[in-house]
Amino acid sequence: MPDGSYAHPQQRQFNPYTENGGTILAIAGADFTVIAGDTRQSEGYSIQTRYAPKVFRLTDRAVLAVNGFAADGNMFVKKVKQRLEWYRHAHAKDMPLRAIARLIQTMLYAQRFFPYYVYNILGGIEEDGSGAVYSFDPVGSYEREACRAAGAAQSLVQPFLDNQIYFKNQQLPPGQTRPLHLSLSDVLSIVIDSFTSATERHIEVGDGLEIYVVLAKGRGPQGLEAVRGAQELTTNAEGDRVFIVRRELKKD
Amino acid sequence: MFLTRSEYDRGVNTFSPEGRLFQVEYAIEAIKLGSTTVGVSTTEGVVLGVEKRVQSPLLESSSIEKIMEIDKHLGCAMSGLIADARTMIDHARVTSQNHAFTYDERIKVESVTQAVCDLALRFGESVHDEEAMMSRPFGVALLIAGVDEKGPQLFHTDPSGTFVRYDAKAVGSGSEAAQSELQDKWHKQMTLKEANILTLRVLKQVMEEKLDHHNVQLAQVTADKGFEILDEVRLKALIDDM
Repeated sequence: MPDGSYAHPQQRQFNPYTENGGTILAIAGADFTVIAGDTRQSEGYSIQTRYAPKVFRLTDRAVLAVNGFAADGNMFVKKVKQRLEWYRHAHAKDMPLRAIARLIQTMLYAQRFFPYYVYNILGGIEEDGSGAVYSFDPVGSYEREACRAAGAAQSLVQPFLDNQIYFKNQQLPPGQTRPLHLSLSDVLSIVIDSFTSATERHIEVGDGLEIYVVLAKGRGPQGLEAVRGAQELTTNAEGDRVFIVRRELKKD
Repeated sequence: MFLTRSEYDRGVNTFSPEGRLFQVEYAIEAIKLGSTTVGVSTTEGVVLGVEKRVQSPLLESSSIEKIMEIDKHLGCAMSGLIADARTMIDHARVTSQNHAFTYDERIKVESVTQAVCDLALRFGESVHDEEAMMSRPFGVALLIAGVDEKGPQLFHTDPSGTFVRYDAKAVGSGSEAAQSELQDKWHKQMTLKEANILTLRVLKQVMEEKLDHHNVQLAQVTADKGFEILDEVRLKALIDDM
């Protein structure tokens, strides 16, 4: 115990971070992107809340999922949203997805020596109309990918995605080639299955699931009509469109 | 004239009772002493042209720099106090590079113009007990040309920090004659070559000396090649085609 004397060695420490569990996931299609996250927030064995969103709509074409230390995550999203508004005022347009990705890198790296303890996954539609996912480490290293899982159940979900999205370790019948992009309905099934499975096997995952779907401009809602309770969040129906789908996950 | 402007043309930030800022107006006058500068915008790209006044046969005309690159997709031509323009161009270059660094995209022509104009009104600005960074308005007008997602564009800025987009614009000593000539000859379907030739013709009309490849400079900004100052060979060819 530090008592202020010099009689024996003393140690002090500063623990500004905690890990709040949960998992996020994003998959890019040819002309859509799905970004999802569970809503449980926990610390150790206790659940702090069953509804703490980790996925946020930034613009009509960009959605950001944040996982790790919840306080840092919320502050980071707040700052990104502020920068997007400044950009809108300065340049009279919404920030393009790849510009948001670069902005997130510079914002994270600016905190290189006291990082936001968060893993970010940015999903949406690029300027060319293609679906895109960008994943980040806490200090801003980033990469565009077709799919990515992060958070508590990353080690459970990512191998499943590698198999289902990238067709890793699958022997295709002779003459059959793997599809370059999956359909929206297939992707939604994979996302929901990923979270129900992660909920079964990981104590920090569960309670609720929020799935954001971003559709490229001009693409119809095919694959989404059959989905129960899809709600549109778009402000301008002329451009890219954002939808949210909510599902319950087991609460035990 | 000087009687009516007594007192109020001293302080750079003092309005006259009629609501005018004389130092800013004088700065705008300073531009009218500068050499003629022309900008022409087309759907293929933007052309910039300047007259280089070679005052002495001993002067190396290639050392007169009145068209400068801001970024790959942005160029700038100037008229007035060229030394003042260097401060503004430097600010524009830094702004453009910072934008590319932070957002991984090319800055818009209007945004970089806005950034330059923000700087134009910083004169006489000082924090408590500190010297102002700039004591007077810039005595230079810029024609900022560039290509971005909205296509080729040409902007004009003046010492008051005002900026306006033009299809074709002339500034400097011969600007009045040049502007009315541009108004007559400019049309929407103009090709880049036509714009180059129009620029040369307009300059030729307002120049005192005979126009040749030593006393004019041309530059263009296109979507494919970005900003480029035309070299002697290309300039000569265009002058021959005039």
